[in-house]
Amino acid sequence: MAAPCPLPPPDPQFVLRGTQSPVHALHFCEGRQAQGHPLLFSGSQSGLVHIWSLQMRRALTTLDGHGGQCVTWLQTLPQGHQLLSQGRDLKLCLWDLAEGRNAVVDSVPLESVGFCRSSILVQGQPRWMLAVPGKGSNEVQILEMPSKTSVCTLKPEADAKLGMPMCLRLWQADCSPRPLLLAGYEDGSVALWDVSEQKVCSRIACHEEPVMDLDFDSQKAKGISGSAGKALAVWRLDGQQALQVCGTHQLTNPGIAEVTIRPDRKILATAGWDHRIRVFHWRKMQPLAVLAFHSAAIQCVAFAADGLLAAGSKDQRISLWSLYPCA
Amino acid sequence: MAVFDTPEEAFGVLRPVCVQLTKTQTVENVEHLQTRLQAVSDSALQELQQYILFPLRFTLKTPGPKRERLIQSVVECLTFVLSSTCVKEQELLQELFSELSACLYSPSSQKPAAVSEELKLAVIQGLSTLMHSAYGDIILTFYEPSILPRLGFAVSLLLGLAEQEKSKQIKIAALKCLQVLLLQCECQDHPRSLDELEQKQLGDLFASFLPGISTTLTRVITGDFKQGHSIVVSSLKIFYKTVSFIMADEQLKRISKVQAKSAVEHRVAELMVHREADWVKNTGDKLTILIKKIIECVSVHPHWKVRLELVELVEDLLLKCSQSLVESAGPLLKALVGLVNDESPEVQAQCNKVLRHFADQKVVVGNKALADILSESLHSLATSLPRLMTSQDDQGKFSTLSLLLGYLKLLGPKINFVLNSVAHLQRLSKALIQVLELDVADIKIVEERRWNSDDLNASPKTSATQPWNHIQRRYFRFFTDERIFMLLRQVCQLLGYYGNLYLLVDHFMELYRQSVVYRKQAAMILNELVTGAAGLEVEDLHEKHIKTNPEELREIVTSILEEYTSQENWYLVTCIETEEMGEELMMEHPGLQAITSGEHTSQVTSFLAFSKPSPIVCSMNSNIWQICIQLEGIGQFAYALGKDFCLLLMSTLYPVLEKAGDQTLLISQVATSTMMDICHACGYDSLQHLINQNSDYLVNGISLNLRHLALHPHTPKVLEVMLRNSDANLLPLVADVVQDVLATLDQFYDKRAASFVSVLHALLAALAQWFPDTGNLRHLHEQSLGEEGSHLNQRPATLENSTTAEDIEQFLLNYLKEKDVADGNVSDFDNEEEEQPVPPKVEENDTHPDVEPPLPLQIQMAMDVMERCIHLLSDKNLQIRLKVLDVLDLCVVVLHSHKNQLLPLAHRAWPSLVHRLTRDAPLAVLRAFKVLRTLGSKCGDFLRSRFCKDVLPKLAGSLVTQAPISARAGPVYSHTLAFKLQLAVLQGLGPLCERLDLGEGDLNKVADACLIYLSAKQPVKLQEAARSVFLHLMKVDPDSTWFLLIELYCPTQFTPPHPSLHPVQLRGASRQQNPYMANVLRLLKELQ
Repeated sequence: MAAPCPLPPPDPQFVLRGTQSPVHALHFCEGRQAQGHPLLFSGSQSGLVHIWSLQMRRALTTLDGHGGQCVTWLQTLPQGHQLLSQGRDLKLCLWDLAEGRNAVVDSVPLESVGFCRSSILVQGQPRWMLAVPGKGSNEVQILEMPSKTSVCTLKPEADAKLGMPMCLRLWQADCSPRPLLLAGYEDGSVALWDVSEQKVCSRIACHEEPVMDLDFDSQKAKGISGSAGKALAVWRLDGQQALQVCGTHQLTNPGIAEVTIRPDRKILATAGWDHRIRVFHWRKMQPLAVLAFHSAAIQCVAFAADGLLAAGSKDQRISLWSLYPCA
Repeated sequence: MAVFDTPEEAFGVLRPVCVQLTKTQTVENVEHLQTRLQAVSDSALQELQQYILFPLRFTLKTPGPKRERLIQSVVECLTFVLSSTCVKEQELLQELFSELSACLYSPSSQKPAAVSEELKLAVIQGLSTLMHSAYGDIILTFYEPSILPRLGFAVSLLLGLAEQEKSKQIKIAALKCLQVLLLQCECQDHPRSLDELEQKQLGDLFASFLPGISTTLTRVITGDFKQGHSIVVSSLKIFYKTVSFIMADEQLKRISKVQAKSAVEHRVAELMVHREADWVKNTGDKLTILIKKIIECVSVHPHWKVRLELVELVEDLLLKCSQSLVESAGPLLKALVGLVNDESPEVQAQCNKVLRHFADQKVVVGNKALADILSESLHSLATSLPRLMTSQDDQGKFSTLSLLLGYLKLLGPKINFVLNSVAHLQRLSKALIQVLELDVADIKIVEERRWNSDDLNASPKTSATQPWNHIQRRYFRFFTDERIFMLLRQVCQLLGYYGNLYLLVDHFMELYRQSVVYRKQAAMILNELVTGAAGLEVEDLHEKHIKTNPEELREIVTSILEEYTSQENWYLVTCIETEEMGEELMMEHPGLQAITSGEHTSQVTSFLAFSKPSPIVCSMNSNIWQICIQLEGIGQFAYALGKDFCLLLMSTLYPVLEKAGDQTLLISQVATSTMMDICHACGYDSLQHLINQNSDYLVNGISLNLRHLALHPHTPKVLEVMLRNSDANLLPLVADVVQDVLATLDQFYDKRAASFVSVLHALLAALAQWFPDTGNLRHLHEQSLGEEGSHLNQRPATLENSTTAEDIEQFLLNYLKEKDVADGNVSDFDNEEEEQPVPPKVEENDTHPDVEPPLPLQIQMAMDVMERCIHLLSDKNLQIRLKVLDVLDLCVVVLHSHKNQLLPLAHRAWPSLVHRLTRDAPLAVLRAFKVLRTLGSKCGDFLRSRFCKDVLPKLAGSLVTQAPISARAGPVYSHTLAFKLQLAVLQGLGPLCERLDLGEGDLNKVADACLIYLSAKQPVKLQEAARSVFLHLMKVDPDSTWFLLIELYCPTQFTPPHPSLHPVQLRGASRQQNPYMANVLRLLKELQ
């Protein structure tokens, strides 16, 4: 950051207010489902899911399905107007949002009270795979949806002492149909699971503090993880499906709540407990900007397909930023 | 009525008179005949027509000089006969025609004979009646070439009369007669229409007269306006009827190349005209000149009927002679177009009808469609427009712009042909920009300030439904007529409606950006273009025209709005920052602090007035107008977009609100009405509704702009306006912004404190209003009532002369009881009634007694604000200190239900407040005292010792030292700050003493200081205030107060109730004349 004349940090494009509770999860919904009017979903500590119109910059509706318990994860399914929301009320709800409906059509009971966010992998059109934190404190459960049949439980070996899973990322290599799971654990390590064989392919201890979130670029076979500590770790997956640490990036303040790579894989953003959003060049891991707007810890960051960045904070605001527009 | 029905009877009656007349031709005989004729039936008269006519014609034909009177009566009699009969023989018709015409013939000159007007009228009417009485076909045989000389004579005779006579009656009669002669009469007596051949023959015949008729009538038409409209109307009618008959395309296309051999004699043949191509061309050219003259004159004729006739003329000529008068088509259409916006609705309607009719026809003139001619005309008008706009006067501009408007209306979507030509668009825009230049020399606009800050409460229902019609009156450099501005707006709206909006908006945006000289005009034009594009007010002559689609329109509006509200176009210098100037002034001259506020402002303004050079005023005025025009534009855009405008609120509302809080009166007014327009468009009932519903957008703007306060110094203003115009629902939304404000304030204590303090003031005022603490107020009120009641009940008899033993006993008992209480032996009953404050409601509702309940948002806010106030109380700037004291006052009001929060803060604020009270400028002392009073009423106990220790001595001291001054002072004294201070302290001390429940020693201090003000020498107001102090003191300690007053002046001698008691000697009783007498008496009366 030895730029001779640093530009003043940009302002958010706009700020969404009105959740009246800290924001814990964000998810953009666009394209076909949104019918030309991009939407943003936000999950709040008070258990509500707000659906924001980005055109009106206002909440259109709120979904109340988690009994006042914090909503930690939101995800839309590509095939339709369906939204998944995970709450700390030990429930994962599937909402039907088509044609103005907003009803829970299905729900999956969860057995872990942690903050570990779930992950999905869409394989065939109707079927998709869901990874959720399991019953045992160190387990991850894999379900086949929408039938909710349990596929398997991924339990590390007894002597591994990984602690609780903190973050999950299901993915599939282009070349092989085998579903893989990247999981960050409480002890600061990231493990790659082969779901069908239910074994850990590789594991690296890249953080000293619990891994808070990770994101993975399957094209470059490279991922990044953030922890409660002061470092970001970048690691890669070699041909033998072994994880290798490529490098770490030291931060001034500890604590990363979420790390997200933009869909075009050009930049990534981190949600900092120090109230700041940090933006990096993904390939070079060069810091590009430190966005200071929020007055409390940032809990989540999300990118829209067009490059819009959203950050949700404990200060109950959601800031939207237009940075380095996508080509 | 006819007495003689049969010809025989009639003959018998008429014969003698006819014979008589033939023998001696006198007026009497003619009249005799006429009287007899009255009694004869029409049928009998027809039989005897020739016979009766004979003596009359004989009289006319008799050679030798005749008396005019005789001729007149003969002609009148002849006319009478002809009006009741019809002429069945062609020869008779011709002869009568000649004979009648000859009556006005003067052989000596070309002009009509110099005869009496009555005779002229009689002859004209005779001729007219003759032509009407011609029977059936013989009228047609009359118009054979051989009649040409005689007809020509009659025509020129009539034209001469129409042109030269003075009498209006004759003129009109001559014109009517001419119309009949030319077979253009409109009465019912000519039922048969002519066939083609007949028309052609007549046309050939009349063609000879065309030059004479057209030139003479043109002279009549273009004559003085004063000659009366009916003459002009008739002349116009004959002109176009004749011209359209002779020059009719229908007839002309049948004319053979070679003139047919006519059977008439050579002399007559020479007079005949052959209407072949060359003749048509020449005549057309000549007529064009005349038509142009006519149009030029008639289109501005003051009488609408004349202009209406012009519309008829245009229609007739264009419909019938579009080929032959091809050269005149341009001017004719131009006349029509110019009348499209006529002030008379009849003319307008007719014009529109005719134009619609033309538009429906494929070909209008020559081979060209109407549209082609119109575009050519528009091209040429666009070219000359800039020149016309500079050279013409208001009337000229009006007609030119009417014309332009007419072309635009008629061309509709086809105006794009003209707009697509860069040169023409530039000419057009140059002209518009030039003529719309505003006059910005008015200094008042810059000076007028908005003082009243809460005038946003107007409801949109009060304004008109077409919001942009009440735009601000503005003054233009190049015209004064308001109608011209209306026309210009219509022109722009039509351009927006029909023209390529992207092209136009681009063009004018370019001009807008190009130079500040064009900016205001370009903005005005852009506003109207968009209004027009929405097509809400446009009367469409082209039903098939497709309007700009709303999506596109919104995009266009968005881009214009971006430009309008951009940093460099929205934040213009509109005033010299008076506040800052004021501050600087005060820093330079600390002495100014002491003068009163009124003098202060006047000094500052006069200073400004002298130092302002006028170019700055002009540019500020110009800036103000630019902002106003842009604001109005936003209103118009809202109107144009309707509900769609809601999507633009997120970027628009904030800047508008910012301007609603502007200091300049005009700007804030216009901004308010813009908000009204937005309410209308987006369906909000009130401004408050608008602000409340969109507070999220506003808050967003505020919080983002606070981050760059140097760039957006007016940001706090917006929050202020919002707070003033909203309600408690707003609070959660602004909570984080208030935190931002406070955080920013912490950063900029030194620089921008003033604007922040006013926001804090607005915030606290809003909080105090939104959360009135009714529960506690009621409690306090009851408490005070109770106290009063108890005191009064206890002491009803103290001062009565007839004090009974029971009274004394009761007094003693009470005294003992109070002494007991004072010693601390308090009974439960007393405890309940007197001391315990009712616990705040919040606690009652609390379900978790262990957990500290979260403080309500407003309390948290007020605490945060009060925290800042403590620091700001000692600001260098007096104005800020004063404001902070106000804010502090409000903080105390809001917080008073939360003693646990209020008291620590009050404790911290105390030293600084004491400083204000004791060592600051008088104004600050005044405000600080107000805070003290509020504080006293809210937390009495807390304040008691502090007040007595830190403040009271000083206050009492100043009252005592000021007393001699005010006692000596004249009437002007009541305008001084010192007086106001005295008054405020005296008014406040009473309630304070009571509220703080001061001890005896302190009460005595107060009483001592106030006693002097009971003197009649003090100003009346101060006496009143002093009395109020004692009234309060009476409530606290009636006995000592009574004693004090009695010491001052004792109205009665006290006799002991029992002889065993010593008589009392009071100081007050000694002196009879006493300045305190009046007030003491009044107070004592209260005590009884």
